[in-house]
Amino acid sequence: MKYLTIDTTTKVTAVALAEDGRLVGEGFLHTSRTHSERIIPMLDQLLTAADWSLQELDMIGVVRGPGSFTGIRIGIATAQGLAQVLKLPLIAVVSLDTLAWAGLGRTEDIVPLLDARKNEWYTARYRWTRGEEKAECLTPPQALPKDQWLEQLRVLDRPICFVGDAIAKAKVQIEEVLGERALILPDYINLPRGAYAVQAVWQRWQETGVGERVEPYYIRFSEAEVNWAKKEEARRSEGHE
Amino acid sequence: MGGIAKGSECDVMEKSNHEVIILGVETSCDETSAAVLVNGTELRSHVISSQIMTHQKYGGVVPEIASREHSLHLQPVVQQALDEAMMTFKDLSAIAVTYGPGLVGSLLVGVSGAKAMAYAAGVPLIGINHLEAHIYANFLPHQDIEFPLLALLVSGGHTHLIFFEAHGQYKILGRTRDDAAGEALDKVARTLGLGYPGGPQIQRIAQEGDAQAFKFPRAMLEPDSLDFSFSGMKSAVLNTLNSARMRGETLSVPDIAASFQQAVVDVLVRKTMLAIKRTRVKTLLLAGGVAANSLLRQTLSETLGKQSVRLVYPPPILCTDNGAMIATAGYYHYLAGDFAPWTLNAVPGLNLT
Ligand SMILES: [Zn+2]
Repeated sequence: MKYLTIDTTTKVTAVALAEDGRLVGEGFLHTSRTHSERIIPMLDQLLTAADWSLQELDMIGVVRGPGSFTGIRIGIATAQGLAQVLKLPLIAVVSLDTLAWAGLGRTEDIVPLLDARKNEWYTARYRWTRGEEKAECLTPPQALPKDQWLEQLRVLDRPICFVGDAIAKAKVQIEEVLGERALILPDYINLPRGAYAVQAVWQRWQETGVGERVEPYYIRFSEAEVNWAKKEEARRSEGHE
Repeated sequence: MGGIAKGSECDVMEKSNHEVIILGVETSCDETSAAVLVNGTELRSHVISSQIMTHQKYGGVVPEIASREHSLHLQPVVQQALDEAMMTFKDLSAIAVTYGPGLVGSLLVGVSGAKAMAYAAGVPLIGINHLEAHIYANFLPHQDIEFPLLALLVSGGHTHLIFFEAHGQYKILGRTRDDAAGEALDKVARTLGLGYPGGPQIQRIAQEGDAQAFKFPRAMLEPDSLDFSFSGMKSAVLNTLNSARMRGETLSVPDIAASFQQAVVDVLVRKTMLAIKRTRVKTLLLAGGVAANSLLRQTLSETLGKQSVRLVYPPPILCTDNGAMIATAGYYHYLAGDFAPWTLNAVPGLNLT
């Protein structure tokens, strides 16, 4: 079964081709260009290089967040557009679950950190057990203040392997809190790669076996919604006095 | 952008049918819209999913929420447009999409989706300037429009006088140096407590007012200039209201609205007539949200009638943001072989140049 995957939830544009869970080709760009400029040319280049045609594909996979709101939407709009025309099933996976594949085979807990701005990370915690085909999710995806999350991890008193695009800036802070228990993998493993999406999508396909209606997974409400809810709350509590 | 983008002008010649079928996609602001247009004249389907209700509670369009809505609605809206036209992607000659101006996050949903659809369908992609499309909305119901012509584009963001020699060949003769006409109407409407959007509210309440009650200035700039300036006119209204308030007087809101609307229309009409005199065109196209203003239409049609210049404006549904106008503009780009590369990006500040 042939498929392609798209991950544009961070500043990396990651497109990959795969067959039955086996990586066939991948594109990785971490430059200042936008996803919108890169994604179709990258896909076109990969297909040509692999000597594949779009008509050979059996499925489209996409990473639906959390991450950059705009990036999430570009990835989904692209994957949906391809799937709609080619009449292919669409499979969506979560960015943090996908990044857990960067730590396959490690004995430490795997903690992906994605930049969520406002001094927060999108994060979760996973553990690979020898012989298991899937990382177990121990702490589900959420947006958390950096210091609060590091404190939670410190209390766990376990070795932790960090992955994700927020690592580069967080290294000092992580090591300050967790010291020797923190393991930080290099960039080429840390950043979202097509190879990881290929794994996560294949796993989900084997669990579901059918395409799905894909919606963005933002975790956070938009600022306007949050502010409006706060105002409503204030208005309501005033009314009760 | 390297050599990897082949561009989208693949397979154009391979289409066996002689009909030109364009799918138009619009997501620049708060409407998700798609339309299927055959040969530039037959609108086979037109779907508009409006977010007005969603944004109402925030008192205006919230960019992030608009983008989220487009993301949910683009695919079903496109599918509905194809279904209603009884067509599939295989029938299309090209896909046209707005790439600016507009909200960047919203534009990116449409651009990304349209690009993927065009690439997968093996048809060319056409990037459309939203402002140009508003003008082209006139060509859908009126195929007998003759060049050269003048277009007056008036909306909340733009006030342009544009001379068209032929399709795709245009020159800006005048533009606003500060506020757009629609923007000035909106601001005065807000100060008068008339709500949003301001243009239609002013027009409604002006019907009960006396347009001669207040003598607001008509900013004409230099005698030969075709540029506009509405900011001083708007300030004159606000000053009038302020000084009345300080004297403890209450002014008639309908009179203010009527007088200000008259002043704005007078300026638009006078500049337009100057441009017509200079270019000697025999056709004037109206476009943009303010093109729906009935005083503007009426005054123009009376003034132009005397000079046997034809006035053309789109029906109300084509004055809003819509996919049909994108498909119409796309049709003329298709005929010109003007296609976009796969690297097409959203350009939120895109202007007419
Ligand atoms: Zn518009």
